[in-house]
Amino acid sequence: MALRVQFENNDDIGVFSKLTNNYCLVAIGGSEAFYSVYESELAETIPVVHASIGGCRIIGRLTVGNKNGLLVPSATTDVELQHIRNSVPDCVKIQRVEERLSALGNVIACNDYVALVHPDLDKETEEIIGDVLGVEVFRQTVADNPLVGTYTVLSNQGGMVHPKATIQEQDELSSLLQVPLVAGTCNRGSEVLAAGMVVNDWISFVGMNTTATEISVIESVFKLNQSQPSSVTTKLRAALIEDMS
Amino acid sequence: MSLYNFKKIMVVPPAKDFIDIMLSKTQRKTPTVVHKGYKISRIRAFYTRKVKYTQQNFHDRLTQIIQDFPKLDDVHPFYADLMNVLYDKDHYKLALGQLNTARHLIDSVAKDYVRLLKYGDSLYRCKQLKKASLGRMATIMKRQASNLTYLEQVRQHLSRLPTIDPYSRTIIICGFPNVGKSSFINKITRADVEVQPYAFTTKSLYVGHTDYKYLRWQVIDTPGILDHPLEERNVIEMQAITALAHLRACVLYFMDISEQCGHSLEEQVQLFESIKPLFSNKPLMVVVNKIDILTLDELNPERKTIIENLISDDKNIPVKFMSTVNETGVMDVKVDACERLLSFRVDQKMRTKKVDNILNRLHVATPKERDNVERPACIPDSILAKQKENAERNERRQRRLERDIEEEMGDDYILDLKKNYAEIPEEERYDSIPEFWDGHNIADYIDPDIFDKLEELEREEGLREEGGFYNKPDYTLDDTLKEIRDMAKQIRLRRFQLRDEKRLAHRKNKPIIPRTKTPKLKDRSVDKLRQTMENLGVDMSGTENANFTKSVVDTRRSLVHVGPSTSGSKVPRLALLDKESSAIVKSTGKPLKRAPSRLDQGVKNTVMKKKLHVMAKRDIAKKMSKGMGLKGEADRFIGTKMPKHLFSGKRGTGKTDRR
Repeated sequence: MALRVQFENNDDIGVFSKLTNNYCLVAIGGSEAFYSVYESELAETIPVVHASIGGCRIIGRLTVGNKNGLLVPSATTDVELQHIRNSVPDCVKIQRVEERLSALGNVIACNDYVALVHPDLDKETEEIIGDVLGVEVFRQTVADNPLVGTYTVLSNQGGMVHPKATIQEQDELSSLLQVPLVAGTCNRGSEVLAAGMVVNDWISFVGMNTTATEISVIESVFKLNQSQPSSVTTKLRAALIEDMS
Repeated sequence: MSLYNFKKIMVVPPAKDFIDIMLSKTQRKTPTVVHKGYKISRIRAFYTRKVKYTQQNFHDRLTQIIQDFPKLDDVHPFYADLMNVLYDKDHYKLALGQLNTARHLIDSVAKDYVRLLKYGDSLYRCKQLKKASLGRMATIMKRQASNLTYLEQVRQHLSRLPTIDPYSRTIIICGFPNVGKSSFINKITRADVEVQPYAFTTKSLYVGHTDYKYLRWQVIDTPGILDHPLEERNVIEMQAITALAHLRACVLYFMDISEQCGHSLEEQVQLFESIKPLFSNKPLMVVVNKIDILTLDELNPERKTIIENLISDDKNIPVKFMSTVNETGVMDVKVDACERLLSFRVDQKMRTKKVDNILNRLHVATPKERDNVERPACIPDSILAKQKENAERNERRQRRLERDIEEEMGDDYILDLKKNYAEIPEEERYDSIPEFWDGHNIADYIDPDIFDKLEELEREEGLREEGGFYNKPDYTLDDTLKEIRDMAKQIRLRRFQLRDEKRLAHRKNKPIIPRTKTPKLKDRSVDKLRQTMENLGVDMSGTENANFTKSVVDTRRSLVHVGPSTSGSKVPRLALLDKESSAIVKSTGKPLKRAPSRLDQGVKNTVMKKKLHVMAKRDIAKKMSKGMGLKGEADRFIGTKMPKHLFSGKRGTGKTDRR
């Protein structure tokens, strides 16, 4: 299931929220409309937490996490850190990271088992990622762009990468990540995927501008409904060609 | 998003308005005060500015008009052709061309006069030159009057054209008039095209949109076309032809199997053959409509062969049967048309380089095993349970509902009450049961133990009878009881009588005294006075003939002696005329007489009095109803006591005496 949402008239909802299989962080906005969309869908199963990082709302881009842990940048204040600690389940390890590339969400893409990281990331940070998030770490670029966190969206069931990623690159990444991958867009052709959508193993939220074809691709590659990733090449193929060219 | 938007063309004013707008703009936006005493260079500059300003305005406005209107060579050939059909290409180009010339003429007029103004040697001459130049510009525009009105009409028509994107996915519906094209578009889109049972209801192109496979599809309804050569076609038909000729779309050729449209099947096939060149290189489908009236099987053999030939003729052209009335096959036709067009367009795109750029997005990279680690998805149980529940609900929805059956069977649907009789085996469920059989009511024998039950009941009844359950208890009335009964009967009777009497003697015009008030009794009597006085201790003896005893007189019995008492003979007893006159004047011994009431003065008898009474009543009523003291039209009337215009401001000449 994919839901269209908007954060204060902004379609880049991945910037203002972080969704994992164990918890969900949502930015503190002017109204609760955005938060309540998440709340209504998730609050029964996982905690949906209002959060800020260093007083900023762009928590989706500053943090990285999965069901095992959460990494926050050094700009995070103690109060904020404590608030998050109190709100998320105890099994989630939370760690503040001293890292030059402080927008952790932009430089790290991960699911519960593997992570892609920016090639220039600190050695120590890489170790912390492995320990806290419990993942295998790979230094990679996506479509010649080192910001893997921005251009990749991952769940345990599938992944989506920058629309310009070549077939060969997709195959490599897929073998690395051990999930099916598709190159695609959201928000009517936006290539900053992680900014336009958040996803976990059973639900995804996308920007309000996302088209029906984009949603159908997202739902099938992340296995959010009955369809399988292969339907992108079969059922959806004609519609995709028609829509994109 | 459509490529063309003809809705934003600015209004083209008619020539007269055009000139007025320009001249008044000059008047408003340039200086207006000049004096003869000014230096001549200043005067010249003043008028030159006016001329130049006017020319610039004319120039700008004309340029805008010329640029706003689409150039026939630049727009998509579909629009170019459509505009040629609707507005006549030559006329259109000529009008725009002439406006262009007018613009140049105005420019040169202004140039000439600006040059002449340099030699103007007085204010008067300069002014005349300016006047002449503006006049000539206006004249040039006046000559464009017909062009301007024509362009305005074109603009209005263009802005109302449906927005057709010639490059997008399009389905075109065509065929003879009245074969059900508009009904079809109404069924699959929300276009709401007018449908009427006569030919050429649709006179222009209509566009609707429908969804299929996450994409938006443009459906164009065309006016009906008849089978004659291109040169003889009228404007209405030509619109359909342009759409067919220029839009790369899926074409649905509609046929009417019932021939109710007034054209036989042969004619319809003939038209199809004759406009076939228009369909080349396009996905094409033949849609046979109105099968609710006549199905293929009911058709007579020779007509049937026509259609069968059509089917077998070209395997690439599928023939579909449908009915817009009961919606059989409508969705089939839509899906098929969309599917054919989609595969056609995809095929074409695959041949170009466009698709190469997106090939990577049509690929799903599947992972190759690199180790034996399991990486399962992590979905909480509650979510799984919910998903399962949803799936089950969907499955439950799979049950064929009564509504589905009703929809499927349409008018043939009959509510089957018996099919859910689970206890009766299927083969016996629908057996018919007679109401009577061998003179017995079947319903009486539905219960198998009915006779046993009846016997049981009868036995019980017999026992009761024997036991004396139904014997009448005997009781007799004794005398007192009888008396009481009689009395009660009488009382009841009397009560009813009283009630009826009261109803009959309804007191109408009498004052009703509320129950709370006791009626005022006459309690002033001579006896009472006397008694109270005696009680107070006053001696009341010798007051038998006192005056106060005479105050109340019974008119019937009161007698007075009138006149001298002659020989003690009795004077006949006369009833007094008036109660009041019972007092007797002592000096004369005659009863006190008052002056008669004014009501009675001059009245001869009672008959006359009655008459007068009626008359008076009527006259007074008349006077009252007129409304006493109301304003009438004969009254003197002054609307405004002090009209403002006469009492304010300084007095001008000649206003004094008007005040």
